[in-house]
Amino acid sequence: MIDNILSHIIFLPLLTALLLGLFRAKITYLKIGAMFSSVATLLLVIWTAYHFDPDGGMQFVKHSPWIQNTGMSYFIGVDYLSLVILLLISLLMPPLYIYMYHEKRKGYWYNMMLLQTGVTGAVLSLDLVLFYLFWETMLLPIFIMIGKYGNGLHQYNSMKIILMTIMGSMSMLFSIMYIGYVYFDTVGIWSFALTDLSTLTFNIKTSIWLTAGFLLAFAIKIPLVGFHTWMAPAYGSSPTPAVVIMSAIMAKLGIYGIWRFGFALFDTVLVYYAPTIIMLALIGLLYYAIRAITEDNLRKMFAYSSGSHLSLIALGLFLTNIYAWSGSLYLIATHALATTGIFIMIGLTYKRFRTVQISALGGIASKAPKFTFFFTFFALSIAGLPGTGGFVAELLIIIGAFKANFWIGVLTATTMLSAMLYIFWMLQRTLFGKANNDSDYEDLSLREVVMLLPLVILLLVTGIMPSLFTPIFEPQLTASLQEIINVIGGLK
Amino acid sequence: MLSLIVILPFLSAFIMGVVYLGDTKKKRYLFYTLIGVGIPAISTVLSFIFGIQLLGGSEPIHHTLFQWISIGDFNIEIAFMADRLSVVMISFITFIGTLIHIYAAGYMKEDEGYGKFFAYFNLFMGSMLLLVLADNPIMMFVGWELVGLSSYLLIGFYHKESSNITAANKAFILNRVGDFGFIMAISLLFISLEGSGFTFESIKANISMIDHETLTLIGILLFVGAMGKSAQIPLYVWLPDAMAGPTPVSALIHAATMVTAGVYMVARYSFIYIEIPDVGLFIASIGAASALFAAIIASYQSDIKKILAYSTMSQLGYMFMAVGLGAYSSGIFHVFTHAFFKALLFMGAGAVIIALHHEQNIFKMGGLKKELKLVYITMFIATLAISGIPPFAGFFSKDAILITAFASEHYILWSIGSLTAMLTAFYMFRLLFTVFHSQPTQRKKLHALPATMTTPLVILAFGSATVGFLGANEAYGGNSWINTFLALPDRALNISHATEYMLGGLNVFLGLLGMGLAYKLFAQEAQEAKEDSLFRKVVIHKFYIDEIYGFFILKPLLVLSDFIAKVMDPKIFDGFIYLNVWGYRKAAVLFNRLQNGKVRYYALYILIGVSVMSYYLILKLKVMS
Amino acid sequence: MSPQLFFLLASILFSIGLVGLVSRKNLFVLYMSIELMLSSVNLLLATFSKVLGDAGGSVIALLIIAVIAAEAALFLAMTVHIYRNNRTVDSDHFDKLREEAHNA
Repeated sequence: MIDNILSHIIFLPLLTALLLGLFRAKITYLKIGAMFSSVATLLLVIWTAYHFDPDGGMQFVKHSPWIQNTGMSYFIGVDYLSLVILLLISLLMPPLYIYMYHEKRKGYWYNMMLLQTGVTGAVLSLDLVLFYLFWETMLLPIFIMIGKYGNGLHQYNSMKIILMTIMGSMSMLFSIMYIGYVYFDTVGIWSFALTDLSTLTFNIKTSIWLTAGFLLAFAIKIPLVGFHTWMAPAYGSSPTPAVVIMSAIMAKLGIYGIWRFGFALFDTVLVYYAPTIIMLALIGLLYYAIRAITEDNLRKMFAYSSGSHLSLIALGLFLTNIYAWSGSLYLIATHALATTGIFIMIGLTYKRFRTVQISALGGIASKAPKFTFFFTFFALSIAGLPGTGGFVAELLIIIGAFKANFWIGVLTATTMLSAMLYIFWMLQRTLFGKANNDSDYEDLSLREVVMLLPLVILLLVTGIMPSLFTPIFEPQLTASLQEIINVIGGLK
Repeated sequence: MLSLIVILPFLSAFIMGVVYLGDTKKKRYLFYTLIGVGIPAISTVLSFIFGIQLLGGSEPIHHTLFQWISIGDFNIEIAFMADRLSVVMISFITFIGTLIHIYAAGYMKEDEGYGKFFAYFNLFMGSMLLLVLADNPIMMFVGWELVGLSSYLLIGFYHKESSNITAANKAFILNRVGDFGFIMAISLLFISLEGSGFTFESIKANISMIDHETLTLIGILLFVGAMGKSAQIPLYVWLPDAMAGPTPVSALIHAATMVTAGVYMVARYSFIYIEIPDVGLFIASIGAASALFAAIIASYQSDIKKILAYSTMSQLGYMFMAVGLGAYSSGIFHVFTHAFFKALLFMGAGAVIIALHHEQNIFKMGGLKKELKLVYITMFIATLAISGIPPFAGFFSKDAILITAFASEHYILWSIGSLTAMLTAFYMFRLLFTVFHSQPTQRKKLHALPATMTTPLVILAFGSATVGFLGANEAYGGNSWINTFLALPDRALNISHATEYMLGGLNVFLGLLGMGLAYKLFAQEAQEAKEDSLFRKVVIHKFYIDEIYGFFILKPLLVLSDFIAKVMDPKIFDGFIYLNVWGYRKAAVLFNRLQNGKVRYYALYILIGVSVMSYYLILKLKVMS
Repeated sequence: MSPQLFFLLASILFSIGLVGLVSRKNLFVLYMSIELMLSSVNLLLATFSKVLGDAGGSVIALLIIAVIAAEAALFLAMTVHIYRNNRTVDSDHFDKLREEAHNA
């Protein structure tokens, strides 16, 4: 059991869904089943985290052959990076299910369970083809959630996100296939396991194209500026549970992909791409924030906010020093928490007012103080207020940026300015002042507070006591970073 | 212990906040007052205990709470340091803070957000104390930002009125612009000193490791942070608008404490600033300019709180003049005295406002000296203090600053400072005479003032009258006690007693001149300033600075955002996507035409295909040979 | 008689058949072209059989003739039915396999 714990973590939601589906379970049983699977997975993940050795490398590894002749293996494992994302996924599913408490459409529940399997598998895979499989699996539930259950121009937007993402995935697939072939050519057997493939070296020209294939997929996912036009429409039309996972997890998987596969397979070539990506990230930081200023739809506004912070994470990743890397990892975690909070709040807004247009809202603070408190808290966490985890992360990245280069540091520090551009005016129009409609609505119920409280607590703890968390990932992160630096000699 | 001074207010804020959110309608007056006022009182006592310890000659007291973060060489602890500078600061911050809390208990009594108010107020106290007691730049920055947060929450306290929220936003945003510079400074500082510890003491010890250029940059960027926090040019525009908050907020945050954080910061980093006197001169110049600028505007304002707000900005200018020129102790001394009389002035103003049922225009007041006798007398004392009339506190602190300017041969700064001194006396007495002396307007019966509001006034008046002697120079019989105690690296001055007396006398003369002018113009019949000349129009509109910012910064941002939304995203990035789609569609149409269903065409295709393949196989791949 | 002449004849016949297949619309002409191509291949087979002295070629040629006969019967029968149903033997008329014209 312990041996296979990661497999259990990946497949439990899927199996629950299949079982319930097979028996055409009634909605109540479906809800119980989904809730059970998420909590059980969470417990398993916590157990894994508890037994995780910060100084070990990849742990709880399982490597079995899958399709023998073609070298595709079932190869999973967890290290400091995957652990963080794994924890996030498992932590965020139960609150989402609590949010979906009254949801009677079965599709929601099935899709979310499938989604959990997809993202968990993607983050734990160490075999390229297995990773690709899960990467594609994530898309199907999103396609259905947006396409069937979304609002606005949802079918068009669903197609847009799917097609653009697949375009990237396709180029990644080409690269994967070619790499596999090169491995076969040099070594004589087929294998797509990361540990085998990372031993390969390619000539410069080939590797530039191969890396481009991978980077395209991840750049679209993050999204970096220029590859982002799918994001706002998709977030705007998406139902809350899907948008939370998209913002909190899937976008981070783009970063994860570069971190895990990019650095393992193409460390030298990434130096070639680094200036471009850093530039795109710095532009994105401000581009998204400025765009968000005049956005009236709350979901789209925080889609742009998400893009801005993800650009910052990407920036940190390519700065290859200890501070920037730690900051990026920390921001992955804290941003996921904060963005979950804010999107849930937006969802709650929709439930009460039937709209997420800022121009139709206002005056909430007079009637619903608890609501106001949580909303403001999450908004300020996103803005990186000290006391919340976001500040620690941004501080680390800024310091890392200055260590690399003075001007990059200056531009990175603009993250202090970026979030406030849209957040304060938004809070003013949404929560304060006079109401723009006469809806009769309630403040947060106990269930809703219970759902949000863990997020608040985690954000505060990550902000006040980062030293609780840093020892978990620091040793391995320093080690991996050192390996990279040995190969590429640091940046600038 | 030392940490309790900071932790208790945060804890009480948390508790009160949770209780308040539990049921916002319940009145729990006693609970909130006991905790809300009691905790700052405890912090005051603790501060005094530590103050006495240090007075007795003990070394700076440290206390580490726990390790905050440890990544690479970035090891920061949540730790506090009570050295002479911080102990002076926390003494008056907690003392005056507690007085203002007591005042607020009276002022905010009727308000339904009473609990929320005290939660925010205590949050502020905790943050300010964290800022001052932090033993490293990062914790100071955390306090710095949290103070900005508290300010935001408190300015926007009356949240039903959207304009208050705009003021709150303005405060936070401009603070953050300053913080942008501040965090760059801290990062640079850390990177330059990497590996050798990052507390104030260790930075001070290792300062020689940093080259002069970087040091200059750090000094300037730190001051950018101060510009935002302490409302100096150009980041000051939030301060007048911040008066939208309840008056106790204005008293505590925007007079006595938060805004002085910038001055404290320069004093704390004095070991950097002594190395870069050019930056110091820059700071002093900005201070002088802000002082004069604000004084001019204050002379034409009609809202009692706004006059006091500009007055604060002006006095802050003096403080920066001092620390910029290297007279760190004098700057801190002026912070100290200013806290007394400015808090008093604001609280007095609040009392007048409440008595007149929330009237804030001084020209709608008048002749109150008999009905509000206590307020009148205490505010008179404060006005004398701020105008620099001896033996009240303001004289000694302001005098010290002007003497520094004169003695270091910065005569332009000195003359600006002296001119501003006259203007200060003028607009302050203008306020006093208009409110208390000039002809009364028609009004209802005055609202009674509770003792919680009047007692602090008396205490502070006493303070304004006496604390000046703590810093009196030898020329006046004192021994510059506070300068010696603070032991900051002040610049040494060479000036004879005779010159000091002359300058001091000049200050008094200017003060009296301003007072007399105000008396002449406003004591009998006070009239609001009219926009009859271009100069007046410009000044009454505060030099149109807000409009300029709106035009050059806000508008471009909005235009840019719109541009991205309407042109860049849809036409350029999406345009690229649509180009692909168009291409696919065209190709599809083309391929469509090949499939015409006619069998002989298909036969042709087979022919072509087989021919090409055969050619390739036979000739290129040489299958047959 | 040199084999080359026979090769030449077979190629010419094949080409005529091919061109006819591609460019003519009438079903009968299509069939004749196919027959022509088949015959030319037959000729080639027979020639090679003689040249290489292998009897197998001739055997296959005879087999092919039998197959051609069967095919002729089938094809002509179908053509008669096609004519009865559509009143035309124009191969271009039968294009149901194509895509329906859409309003792209």
